Amino acid sequence: MDQSALYLSLEEPRRSDHLWRYTPWRRVHPTGEVKEIPKLGSPEVKIMSIDGEEITEGISLGRDFRPTENLPEMDTVTDSFLRSITEDSRLVLNVEKGFASDKPIVLDINTGESMCALHLSLNIGSLAEFELVTRIRGNSSWFGLLRTGFIDDGCNINDVFLSVLESGTMLRVDSIGIGRDSNIRVGTISSGTENTKSDLRYKMSQKGGSLWVLGSILSTGSMHIDHHIEIQHEAPETFSRLSWNSACGGSSRTIGTGMLRVADGAKGSDAGQLFHNLLLSEKAEADSIPELEVLEHEVIGCGHGTANGPIDENQLFYLESRGLSTKEARDSLISAFLNSTLSEMGSGKLHEWLIDLLSDELEALKG
Amino acid sequence: MESNEEARQAVGEYKAGWHDSENSTIRFDFGLSEEVVREISKLKDEPEWMTNLRVKAYHHFVDRPMPTWGNTPMLDSIDFDRICYYLRSSKATEKDWEDVPDEIRNTFDRLGIPEAEQKWLSGVTAQYESEAVYHSIREDLQEQGVIFLDMDSGLREYPEIVKKWFCSVVPLTDNKFSALNTAVWSGGSFIYVPKGVHVEMPVQAYFRINAKNMGQFERTLIIADEGSSIHYVEGCTAPTYSTDSLHSAVVELVALPGSHIRYSTIQNWSANVYNLVTKRGIAHKNSKIEWVDGNIGSKLTMKYPAVILKGEGAHAEVISVAYSGEGQHQDAGAKIHHLASNTTSKILSKSISKNGGRGSYRGIVNVSPKAENCKLNVVCDALILDGESRSDTYPTMEVSNPTAHCEHEASVSKVSDEQIFYLMSRGHSEEEALAMVVNGFFEPFTRELPMEYAVELNQLMALEMEGSIG
Repeated sequence: MDQSALYLSLEEPRRSDHLWRYTPWRRVHPTGEVKEIPKLGSPEVKIMSIDGEEITEGISLGRDFRPTENLPEMDTVTDSFLRSITEDSRLVLNVEKGFASDKPIVLDINTGESMCALHLSLNIGSLAEFELVTRIRGNSSWFGLLRTGFIDDGCNINDVFLSVLESGTMLRVDSIGIGRDSNIRVGTISSGTENTKSDLRYKMSQKGGSLWVLGSILSTGSMHIDHHIEIQHEAPETFSRLSWNSACGGSSRTIGTGMLRVADGAKGSDAGQLFHNLLLSEKAEADSIPELEVLEHEVIGCGHGTANGPIDENQLFYLESRGLSTKEARDSLISAFLNSTLSEMGSGKLHEWLIDLLSDELEALKG
Repeated sequence: MESNEEARQAVGEYKAGWHDSENSTIRFDFGLSEEVVREISKLKDEPEWMTNLRVKAYHHFVDRPMPTWGNTPMLDSIDFDRICYYLRSSKATEKDWEDVPDEIRNTFDRLGIPEAEQKWLSGVTAQYESEAVYHSIREDLQEQGVIFLDMDSGLREYPEIVKKWFCSVVPLTDNKFSALNTAVWSGGSFIYVPKGVHVEMPVQAYFRINAKNMGQFERTLIIADEGSSIHYVEGCTAPTYSTDSLHSAVVELVALPGSHIRYSTIQNWSANVYNLVTKRGIAHKNSKIEWVDGNIGSKLTMKYPAVILKGEGAHAEVISVAYSGEGQHQDAGAKIHHLASNTTSKILSKSISKNGGRGSYRGIVNVSPKAENCKLNVVCDALILDGESRSDTYPTMEVSNPTAHCEHEASVSKVSDEQIFYLMSRGHSEEEALAMVVNGFFEPFTRELPMEYAVELNQLMALEMEGSIG
């Protein structure tokens, strides 16, 4: 069955499904008419180094699109919908075996003014070592991104996703497999979009894989930001950590749902997830559902935790006693809270670049 | 295996697995219809409002689809047309054990209920199939105005109180199984504790299903008036049959300002019983509701004791343990709704899965926008003892007030080799060491139980753990 026919054959997802509990599909769909598959445009995509230089070797964008196997099991609705609307908007990020770069690489996606979508396939050769920032900008009212692909064995990659869209709705889906002994960090920095729904799934199907999933979420005004992160441990001796920090101001709402699945046979798995929500205003709301499904008993440990709360009065008092005004102390604590995951996403160079880029958004949050 | 021998002597192989020959005085045919519902109400000579409520609930049950979450294959395998919705084995609720029919009395003797009553209980209700067969309360409590009756007598003797509170905590449209209970309820306990009265010793209800393909739908309503306190304990068992039975109870607790209700359950249904229960309490100002919930038996349990913290300063605690053995799925958890300011809650959930069993924690905690300075803490720990078993955690936390302090943590692990090694180096066998670790794991739960229950739970667990090694 082709993807459009598959999508049209599906029922609208129910709210009893955790994935759709807080953000119904109708709200995410580009037109709200769920039985419609609209014709959307393609964004402008460029690849460059962090200081704007052109990259000529080892990493490139191509159109030689091939389906990837052994990907995580996906939500059929979003997967078939995104595949339907991106039939004419597909790119492949090809990274040669053994490619290494000291300078972080920026994959710049400019949505422009109109609704658009992209299917980006990752074809990453073994032993690659680099840092990638996927930056989404523009003022399109709707943007959809489907990333699929496999990161081959022995890679060492920091993969940061940064959304600075001015407004509108973004639907983001990741379906990525991780190879043997690869060490991957996936960071998400979310700000700007009015309405975000993301479904990020990673599968460790080879022994020795290691994955960190990190989030720094800034929500202000009336934003609605909903992230679902699913980590599937299918092979023995795999390691994962999810650390997700959301700071919520205005009347915004952030939702973080996590699922750690440890399959039967994934002996020696070590998995953990943590959600932290900082509530900064009376009307802000934060929801967390960190779920675990463990089918293997020979695990090193599987755990999760969430904590929600306001700024700690004791920390505030301490900073004020050191001479900071209440506002300065509060701002410092908000920055430190978001920075605790942001600083883990990549190298010092990448971190500085991100902080510069995000200074305006942080100011808006601090109010 | 000395300790296991002791356990076996004390509790036997699923000690409650025998069954008596069925000597029912009234038995309805299998299946449910409006006529059956009206017939149950007529038999009990109920007021019209209750009959109408039952009929309304029946229609809601029929119209409402089965849940689409949880263990849907197991839920879908329930055949509602192969269940008997009402069975009476005794002509009346007796106040003296000697007046209870011999066979039924023998059952409760074997379960140790009369002995427990003499030693450490303030009152007892024993329910056999659909009706309470025995009921008693200590005279001094009765003199202080404490009402402790089976629910049917409660409705007959105190219709106004029952009408006021019945369905006030769990509305008939709450879920499919609470609607079923409201339609066909029979038995259960009705308790009213007057202002300022403290019931020092626990009261107990014991629920026994004896017949095959039986549905037990008891309804319990406990009202603790201002400044009062009560501890209610319930136990449940059933014989082991190859066909399934259904237990679908509804429990409503009302804790008025300054009162304290503790509700303890040791559920040890046989592995052919679906246990789909709705338990909820409303806690008014400065009151406290505690659910202490042990789930050892049943085929599928879906039970999420809930507390609505309605009044300022109210507190809720849910402490639960679940053991899932072969073919069992214990889907248990807790729900706490913080509606008022300065309310606090604590959930501690522990589960063990073994021999292909599945243990799930499913819970929700929410803080409403107007509830200032709430504090809540959720801890779930799970142990998986072998490669065929699984453990899931599905917690939900919804926080709409920035002053709330919410914490949740969970872990899934196996018994550590170091612990086993240490205990074995002190002279214990591997099996004893494992049983000790498991009892230690459950200790935060057992210390909340009356001592007799805690001892029995430890013995039951030791027996369940037998054969875990090798």
